[in-house]
Amino acid sequence: MMGLLNILKKLRSNPEKELRLLLLGLDNAGKTTLLKQLASEDVNHVTPTAGFNIKSVLSSGFKLNVWDIGGQRKIRPYWRNYFENTDILIYVVDCSDHQRLEETSQELAELLQDDKLRNVPLLVYANKQDLTTGEKHLNKDKRKYLTSFNNEKKPKSQNLEFFAWVL
Amino acid sequence: MVFFNLWSVLQWYLRPFIKWFLRKTTRLCELQRICYGDKPGAERSRNVEKSLMLSRTRDVKQVVSYLDNTVLERSFVPRNFPEILNPSVAIILRAKKINPKLHELFIVSFRRCLAQIWSYRLLLEEVEEMRKTHYDSSLPEHEEKLLKLWSLLVPNEDLESRVTKQWQYIGFQGDDPKTDFRGMGLLGLENLLFFASEYPQASSHVLSHSHHPKYGYTYAVVGINLTSMAYYLLKDGSAKTYMFNARQYLPNMNLFHKFYCYLFYEFDKMWIESKPENMMEFSIIFKKFENAIRNELADPASVFRINIEVDTI
Repeated sequence: MMGLLNILKKLRSNPEKELRLLLLGLDNAGKTTLLKQLASEDVNHVTPTAGFNIKSVLSSGFKLNVWDIGGQRKIRPYWRNYFENTDILIYVVDCSDHQRLEETSQELAELLQDDKLRNVPLLVYANKQDLTTGEKHLNKDKRKYLTSFNNEKKPKSQNLEFFAWVL
Repeated sequence: MVFFNLWSVLQWYLRPFIKWFLRKTTRLCELQRICYGDKPGAERSRNVEKSLMLSRTRDVKQVVSYLDNTVLERSFVPRNFPEILNPSVAIILRAKKINPKLHELFIVSFRRCLAQIWSYRLLLEEVEEMRKTHYDSSLPEHEEKLLKLWSLLVPNEDLESRVTKQWQYIGFQGDDPKTDFRGMGLLGLENLLFFASEYPQASSHVLSHSHHPKYGYTYAVVGINLTSMAYYLLKDGSAKTYMFNARQYLPNMNLFHKFYCYLFYEFDKMWIESKPENMMEFSIIFKKFENAIRNELADPASVFRINIEVDTI
């Protein structure tokens, strides 16, 4: 969680500030689990998100309003309805889902085209690295997909920060 | 809050006196007053359970822990009832000085309460076990269930392959349902299967609603979220109203599945009636539905039935 808190500290102009965190990513990436973990809730009873979940979490003096939007293809068109006033975008990637790394990178690329997300810090959460399949493909694919973003997209949308951090 | 604490402390001390007073005036112990006075079903069994749990009589406490133990050993099943319940009832009759010849009706009613209360506890264990079993696509028996679900819901169309976009037709998220069961594990799949196999008309009616051009939703994903609702209602005891009011059945896995089917059928109705703008209204409508169900379950007289006949019109 250190990486996240560092971003928060940078943003800490107003100590009472409420922050809006937006969790996006493909289905089964682990967004709801991350949300529950942020809220220190049990993560063993998660169900697929139809629609969205929201939780308010107090963390280091911040009130984080975390929005977790379902990732299945059918509801991805509605993601953009939640862009407004977002302070931080966390994009969750399932590293063990080798087959869909390309799909997830395309979705992310599309997100970054959106004007409403301009100047919004981005955190790419490389989830499930502990799964063996994740470990095996991560090094190869991370370079292929995630870092390729870094090079291609960063010039277009300034102020984006890229992270990959281990759960 | 303070008042509430004070009241519960007061109750703890006053309870024996109140019970003693009522016993002297009615010549009946608390269990008898419940079994004779309260309506059979949820009201009676819930109150018997409360009375047994609060009891400070050593023999009663021992019977309770003995029955709990039969649940842990998974032996509290109808074929063992004579062996388990006869001595349990006998011990409580003796401890409470109840004459079995004068109170035959009490024995029948009390026995039924015990059977319901501990069947519910056993069910809780079984449901938890099934929920904890993760869907495992390397196990043929899991895969067979999944394929059976498809053939029951979509009898006229074969799956082109195991991993295919067709799964989205019955409301899974992607090409492979295996990752959609999540924390509900096999319980989510078994619930969906039961609804499809035992209520074919109702489930295909609900499935067709899920394909509505405007109010459509993801059938299986919503179903798995309803499994989660049914699970929590069972776990926190709210579902006792439903389970104890089912006259012909004791709480068991089938009855849990039926409870789930009821929830699915009713949720679908509420969803369509709400005329949602899109799928993103799910969380709000789902919460509203849960509150409505909790309100109904709070009334011990509630009886739940799916009006399946209606949907054939």
